[in-house]
Amino acid sequence: MPKILLVEDNEMNRDMLSRRLQKKGYTVVTAQDGEKGYSLARSEAPDLILMDISLPAMDGWEVTRLLKANALTRHIPIIALTAHAMVSDREKALGIGCDDYDTKPVDFARLSEKIESLLVEKKVS
Amino acid sequence: MILQNLSIKRKLTLITMLTSSIALILSSVSFLIYDLVSFRNLLRQDLMTQAEIIGYNSAGAMEFKDEPAATATLSALTAKEDIVTAVLYKPDGKIFAHYFRGNAAFSGFLPIHLQKKGTRFEGGYLEVFQEVTLNGEHVGTLFLQSDMRQWSLRAKRYANILIIFVLVSGLFALFVSSKLQGLISKPILHLEDTMRMVSSNKNYAVRAVKTYGDEIGRLIDGFNTMLSEIQQRDTALQSTNGELKTRTQELEEEVFQRKQAQEELLKAKHAAEEANRAKSTFLANMSHELRTPLNAIIGYSEMLEEETRDSGKVENVQDLRKIQGAGKHLLSLINDVLDLSKIEAGKMGLHLENFDVSQVIEEMVTTLQPAAAKNGNSIQVHLADSVNTMRADITKVRQILFNLLSNACKFTDHGTVSVDVDQIKLENRDWIQFQVRDTGIGISAKQKENLFQEFAQADASIARKYGGTGLGLAITHRFVQLMKGQICVESEPGQGAAFTVRLPAQLVIETTEAAQSDSASKIPAAPSETKAGMETILVIDDDPSVRDLMSRFLSKLDFHVVAAANGEEGLRLAKQVDPLLITLDVVMPECDGWTVLNKLKSDSKLADIPVIMVTIVDNEAMGLDMGASNYLIKPVDRDRLAVLVEKHRVARTSITDINSVPLSYVAESPASRKTVGARVPKTRRN
Repeated sequence: MPKILLVEDNEMNRDMLSRRLQKKGYTVVTAQDGEKGYSLARSEAPDLILMDISLPAMDGWEVTRLLKANALTRHIPIIALTAHAMVSDREKALGIGCDDYDTKPVDFARLSEKIESLLVEKKVS
Repeated sequence: MILQNLSIKRKLTLITMLTSSIALILSSVSFLIYDLVSFRNLLRQDLMTQAEIIGYNSAGAMEFKDEPAATATLSALTAKEDIVTAVLYKPDGKIFAHYFRGNAAFSGFLPIHLQKKGTRFEGGYLEVFQEVTLNGEHVGTLFLQSDMRQWSLRAKRYANILIIFVLVSGLFALFVSSKLQGLISKPILHLEDTMRMVSSNKNYAVRAVKTYGDEIGRLIDGFNTMLSEIQQRDTALQSTNGELKTRTQELEEEVFQRKQAQEELLKAKHAAEEANRAKSTFLANMSHELRTPLNAIIGYSEMLEEETRDSGKVENVQDLRKIQGAGKHLLSLINDVLDLSKIEAGKMGLHLENFDVSQVIEEMVTTLQPAAAKNGNSIQVHLADSVNTMRADITKVRQILFNLLSNACKFTDHGTVSVDVDQIKLENRDWIQFQVRDTGIGISAKQKENLFQEFAQADASIARKYGGTGLGLAITHRFVQLMKGQICVESEPGQGAAFTVRLPAQLVIETTEAAQSDSASKIPAAPSETKAGMETILVIDDDPSVRDLMSRFLSKLDFHVVAAANGEEGLRLAKQVDPLLITLDVVMPECDGWTVLNKLKSDSKLADIPVIMVTIVDNEAMGLDMGASNYLIKPVDRDRLAVLVEKHRVARTSITDINSVPLSYVAESPASRKTVGARVPKTRRN
């Protein structure tokens, strides 16, 4: 079963998204802040990361940058999630190395599609 | 010379005296000379007569060689005081008899050349020769010598009289002239006094008093005329000066007031900008805060709905759907507000892509089918064959169509909503034209006026009946503008409405924003284990959280970070650590960022350190003017900051050979940057 790392500071959203992903059959690992997310990404080696951008202290941009700069974690697809639906956020997310981007509140069906397609891409490559 | 500088009074006196004295002396002397000459002639005549008499008396004695008789005759001369010598010579030139006054020793002088007859003046003496004859026969010569005592006495007396006369008349002349010179000198001295008064007191009101009608009187007249003219001009000048002073004061006051007004305006402008920024930040934050719980509401209700359906409790599904619907509605409202604020703040960007127009239309119709069905409306689509693909921001095109269609469905009851899409050519450009018509309640002319304004629904009753924020058309309008299109409406109350939107078929944006964000996104993170040779960055910011964030961020980019909590500390640390660059906040207590920047740039040791302004104050022009290298506005775009600090790092390491290391080179390859950094010896700026 593909393993997904969910980095999200809001407890309710973390619980809700992880349960829905689990129902879809994914193994879900959660982190509530950037530092934890970074270390779990290295230790758990997830197949995909859902990264909330607005995290306290070390934010999602930073974690993503670190992960993409590290040879061990560079290959893990990252979907950035942000509540600020700015176009610049989207540009920034893709520019910084995120593989996809979605806005909150999450349209679960749309997000599932994005997860699936990234996992398939990864498998192919 | 001395005479020339005498006062006019003295001069006049002197001139008068000299003139009169000279005239007096000349006339007296000439008279004296005339008198003395006449007197001398008289003396000579007298002496000659005496000589004749003595000669006559002595002739017998000579003839008879009677010397005593001759001596007696000569002795008679004792009565004549002025005759000093009398000598009788024999025809052979030898002395026969003689007489010397007062028995004074005969000086031995005797005339060498005996003359027969004649007179001469010799050495202050009058000498007379007289031939002594007897019966016509020459018997000897008489010589008489007079010391002209009478003449000398007379001359002396005359001289004394003359001197006394001259002195007395001189004194008298002095008295008279000193009395009379006032006639000329007084008015001149008065004029001089007046002039001195005018020039020393600057009082042009005084006048010289005219005494006589002569040249000096005319001079005083002229002087007075000149004075009055000067006075007039002076008065005019003074009044002009006064006016000028008043005007200058007025001007100064005006300048001051304007300056104040300008400052106030500037303050107001800053305040307004600040407020606007605060508003945008607030909206962005609020939308984030609102979305987070909404995310949970929608997510949990969706999850519950699935679970409920799975467990067969169908009766709860509808209620859960209502929760979802309300949540999504709330979300759309938040999105609208956020969209609008983003547009207002100029932060709404465009994401251009090519897409199939028919596909978008189809999507939208499908999405809105339920809304149409709710009011018993049918949707008809007419897509012209020429319509194919377009290049635009698909999300915004979708939203424009969604807004127009949902409005049409909302305001139409059991009617038709039609969508016409066509490609047209206007002004040599291709446009995609969307037309959405309905057969609904329509819009009055008055309502049309505010149709595209924010928060302006046709009227309040509509809001109650139909709901909505009144933002839909305003956003639609702004989106159309953003994509350089046009929107217009045709409608009559009760006759339905037709909205027409024209968008460029191939939208092109000239701005470089996209390019910038591209390059910014390519920054290498490049965390590195090596700490040696790390460059230092000085962060000056009074906000501890900013200092913390900047420190973390810059440390990750391999910099040594030194932070200062205020301007003074910043300046001190700048001197101490000689950083690669300085990031500087503007709004700080006491010593603000502008002051710090100014001090940095005016210190020759610090002036070369690049300064990146990091601030919420939007005044890039001022920052760059004052010498800042770059200007970033908070919240800081970290990628941009990363690119900037990299550029400065490369600029420093390769300053000796800057041409061989293009800046872009670094951004693309962290590995090669490292090599460059190691190879090129570290160069100090100074």
